[in-house]
Amino acid sequence: MPHTTRRILLGTAAAAGLNLPSIVKAQGKEAIKIGSALPLTGSQAGYGKDFDTSMRMGAKDVNDAGGIAGRPVEIVALDTQAEPQLGINAANRFIGVDKMPMFYVSWSAVVKAVAPIANREKVLAINNGANSPEIATLGDYVYTTFPLADVDITKLAKYMYGPLGKRRAAVLYINNDTGIDAAKIYRDTFTQAGGEVVAFEAYDPKATEFTGMLLKTRAANPDTVHIHGLTADTPQVIAQMRQLGMTQRISSYSAAYNPKLLEQIGPAAEGLIVTSLAPGLNDNKNVQKLLDEWKAAQNRVPNGLPYNQYQYDMVWLTKALYEYLDKKSVAPSGDSLREALLTIKEFDLPMTGKMIIDGHRVNKPVYLLTVDKGAFVPLATLT
Amino acid sequence: MLDPVILAQILWTGIATSAPYVLMTAAFALTLKVTGLWNFAQAGLMAIAFYTMFFVIDALGLPLVFALLAGVVVTAAASLLIEIYGLQVFRDRGSGSLTFFIFTLILSEFIIYVLTLLFGTEPETLFKSILSPVTIIGNIAVSDWDELAVTTAIIGMAALYVFLTWTREGQFMNAVADNARLAELYGISAKRAWRVTAVVAALFVVAAMYLIGTHGGVVPNSPLELIITAVIGTLLGGIGRVFAASAAAVFLGLLQSFSILIIASRWQNLLLYGVLFAAILLFPRGVRMPRWRLILAGR
Repeated sequence: MPHTTRRILLGTAAAAGLNLPSIVKAQGKEAIKIGSALPLTGSQAGYGKDFDTSMRMGAKDVNDAGGIAGRPVEIVALDTQAEPQLGINAANRFIGVDKMPMFYVSWSAVVKAVAPIANREKVLAINNGANSPEIATLGDYVYTTFPLADVDITKLAKYMYGPLGKRRAAVLYINNDTGIDAAKIYRDTFTQAGGEVVAFEAYDPKATEFTGMLLKTRAANPDTVHIHGLTADTPQVIAQMRQLGMTQRISSYSAAYNPKLLEQIGPAAEGLIVTSLAPGLNDNKNVQKLLDEWKAAQNRVPNGLPYNQYQYDMVWLTKALYEYLDKKSVAPSGDSLREALLTIKEFDLPMTGKMIIDGHRVNKPVYLLTVDKGAFVPLATLT
Repeated sequence: MLDPVILAQILWTGIATSAPYVLMTAAFALTLKVTGLWNFAQAGLMAIAFYTMFFVIDALGLPLVFALLAGVVVTAAASLLIEIYGLQVFRDRGSGSLTFFIFTLILSEFIIYVLTLLFGTEPETLFKSILSPVTIIGNIAVSDWDELAVTTAIIGMAALYVFLTWTREGQFMNAVADNARLAELYGISAKRAWRVTAVVAALFVVAAMYLIGTHGGVVPNSPLELIITAVIGTLLGGIGRVFAASAAAVFLGLLQSFSILIIASRWQNLLLYGVLFAAILLFPRGVRMPRWRLILAGR
């Protein structure tokens, strides 16, 4: 662990240091603060800390490119531990103390928790990592730049039924905001396509033993299993599934697109299908730049690369919104930034490519990857 | 679901997964038996045991044997320190049971907080891979981890029985457990018995955390959740009955495993709390099994 701790410390220092020269370069004007509510500690910190680092890399690059309308960017990241209450604290701090007109937030439960505050205070809250479909219905000031589960899970379920010819699916999901809605979408889409969902099982977020649930699933005789969990539990579910002799092809979503998962379960991951909502190296050459920055700062690839691409891009999105208002000489506020988001509508972002805001949703291609010989390789692109 | 193979698999996996709980319950119940204290500092010791082994393997890159050795030495030392400079101080002051309860609970929280600062809060496993090779025995999947867990629990409990029954230290611990003042009148040092108990409990804690840390992810806060099973097992088994408490831990593991036959899997963990309430309300002195010797003797 001290390896990790040292890496984290160095990485954080490096990430903080990354901003210094560029901020200095950015003319001594008052910085534009970008609020980011992420789990920097807790069970989801493996992702949250990496997201923060990627967003800071985006800030550095924006600052190096002259900042936003000549002003430097400063990331203000607050820890949510992926817990709603801490998310509320963070939102109150962004709005009440830092007087920010907009902020970014991830993790479905946290986005839902902060939505009433954003709506009440008329501050723009942008989801940039959570995928609960409910996020599209959280109110006038809550928008998403990250495709919700109905985008990738719908396309994935159709792909499993169509090109892969699966007819009997089992759906295993974590019993929280991340799992419940997405599992229902998979079940409904697969059923509507003509397939049968033969097992539909939720497990406790704190569970570590899944044998009973898996035996129940095995008895239902599925020909594919969709697992919608988090980084801590998904590897254990897959490992125990394989140990019980279940050889069905497994699908999951972007949270399982994680190199640590391959380390943890090795050969048990072979054939696993995951989704990615951002273009990979083959589709977007800019991604190599992000990976190079990660290599230089942390000597590794980030956990959940596609999510990190979105985090990086959010600084560029902020730049586009603020510069739009600057040209029109309109002061940034929750209302004016929302207006800018909906008016510009189409953004060309460096890491995730073209993004079209479609009301409270965003539509993007879905990139499927599968594990082959211990590595994630492209499987299909679903538009 | 009522296929005999499935039932046998649930039975086997339930037994195997309850093995670490058996060990941590034995440690908790033994401490309660000999010292008369609900020692929640055990959660902190569990965290120390895991992260010591993790540090040796992950950071120092040393083989498992060194990790286990370090785990035993550090955890036993921490356990002794708590006994000598914590619990004994309160005993000397004549502190009430509430003081011990608060001290041990806060101490665990403190240890966990420090470990969180040192190691972060990502789930960690002792080895990078959590996949354990599997052998099919009579259509039942038996993993190497299952075998190790069950064997460790059996050997651990057998060794504890031998220690408590056949060694002088063990007999002294029993005497102190029965009546510390009376034992001292016979020249038995209660302090020594308590310290030996602290070391023995530490050994069981290390064994339990090794098994847990090789089966799934552990975060610094995990022991506070894990120890609930030890508390319930101790309540069900009855205070002072170490082996009954450990058997209760197996019962809890099987109850959770078989509950999948009648309830959805998401309710399985909630079941533990239901049993905890039932144990406190209905069996405050533990579940008493029939005394077969008396029954057979017609009494």
